Amino acid sequence: MLASGNVNGDLVFLGATQQAALVRDKQLSPVELVSAYLARIDRIDGRLRAYITVCGESALAAARRAEDAIARGEPLGVLHGIPFAVKDQFETRGVRTTAGSRILADNVPDEDATVVARLTAAGGILLGKLNLTEFALGGTVHYPFGQPRNPWNTDHDTGGSSAGSGAAVAAGLCSVSLGEDTGGSVRSPASWCGVAGHRPTWGLVSRHGCIPLAWSLDTPGPLGRTVEDCALALMLIAGPDPRDPLTARRSVPNYRAALTREVRGLRVGVIRELTHGPETDPEMRAAVVGAVGVLRDLGADVSEVSLPLVPRAGAAFMAICDSEGAGLHLPWLRTRPADYDEGTRRLLLAAGLLPAALVHKAQQARGLIRRQLLDALATHDVLVAPTAHRPAPAIASATTPITSRAEAATRFFTRRSFTTPAALAGVPALAVPCGFSASGLPLSLQIIGRRFADATVLRVGHAYEQATDWHRRRPAI
Amino acid sequence: MTELTESQVRALAEALQLPMTGEDTTEVTHRLNAFIEALDPLIALPWAGADAAPAPVDPDRDW
Repeated sequence: MLASGNVNGDLVFLGATQQAALVRDKQLSPVELVSAYLARIDRIDGRLRAYITVCGESALAAARRAEDAIARGEPLGVLHGIPFAVKDQFETRGVRTTAGSRILADNVPDEDATVVARLTAAGGILLGKLNLTEFALGGTVHYPFGQPRNPWNTDHDTGGSSAGSGAAVAAGLCSVSLGEDTGGSVRSPASWCGVAGHRPTWGLVSRHGCIPLAWSLDTPGPLGRTVEDCALALMLIAGPDPRDPLTARRSVPNYRAALTREVRGLRVGVIRELTHGPETDPEMRAAVVGAVGVLRDLGADVSEVSLPLVPRAGAAFMAICDSEGAGLHLPWLRTRPADYDEGTRRLLLAAGLLPAALVHKAQQARGLIRRQLLDALATHDVLVAPTAHRPAPAIASATTPITSRAEAATRFFTRRSFTTPAALAGVPALAVPCGFSASGLPLSLQIIGRRFADATVLRVGHAYEQATDWHRRRPAI
Repeated sequence: MTELTESQVRALAEALQLPMTGEDTTEVTHRLNAFIEALDPLIALPWAGADAAPAPVDPDRDW
């Protein structure tokens, strides 16, 4: 057993990068680390429901092997001995992969998703499978595997669809997690759970072994307590994969080395429609304006940009994404409708009945929105905006029946207009905490960059994070 | 805007063999009408040069 005397009781809230360094330096035992997370999961996850499946025995066995490898002086991977968890949308060999649905409750894959295999190959230890909205679609009313809850206030939403990925990182239930972001599903839980979450450039990370939603939008991405942890995880999961022919053939940069904190002279564009629009909560707006002030104080060149089509992005995105989902789910919708959560089923039914001509218009709108975003990025290094229009809402507010078309528009389109523009354009976007509401809920800054400029996006996020202390705060749970 | 009615939505779902409960029909009708209201203004946008291309065929290619 390795010595761990230099580590204090905050072990589970250390960043993955810091934990990995302690493991390599023999200051931290992988067995102690995994045991600490398992104990904490046992103590509090009954309330949070971040996990669907906990791989306790296999994780401890892997931790013991990791410890033996250290003792034998073997070469160690970058993530050696570090427990990670993944959204239950990623296939894991021998471990059930449910996609958050009763329909796949007994689905046990015989192969790891590429991103899981890469983290494991780097020495990471799979701790478990994380809760999500059913089939990553959003709008789940009654989660089949328990209602995920926000660690900052358990009556409030975690954000989705990677609900458990955000909650587990925020609550100290894993070192780092993976989610999947089709239209905001990494950034939304990162925002509402007060952690960092990165949507990589589309095509940078393999989707092989990820249960699909929308082929032109799906993107696996990391969540961590620090931007550095996201950078570390991204380095490990990114890169060409012959089993996903849509992955870019570019080599993967050293994203950690790019975290220089230097943003002097960087041109930052504040998206007016999202930051100062009528839908944006005043506390969220104030926090983002404050964050922009920090970037300005660090030497960034800040100006405002207007993207007039961005308020339409949410509806366009849902038309595209949900209609693809409806096509995928058509057989089950016909044969097993009652096995879907009612919210999921109604989303798919509505999308399945959308006129094709309107879906085509949504695709064309995508081209226009993308052009507006890219034109702004041609004269700015990054764009910034709130990640969400408000802090995490009460869970109860999302479970009441829809009683009007106005209510449907507000509940589904509005918040998606904040995260979907980057998704529609295929560009990277990072969410970082930038404050708390008066009621103690996290607020979040979104940083958007050019295609394959993930390093720049992460550098700006890291610089802001290190100039503030929001990322050091922990929920009281 | 002329809204879809529940009976119209129910008929369309039946034609597509999509089972819907009564409560499903009510909510799906609201959702569809919200979609149509939100997407219809897109028809008036200037479309010159706006291909309905979802993503680069070659993922390495910049837009």
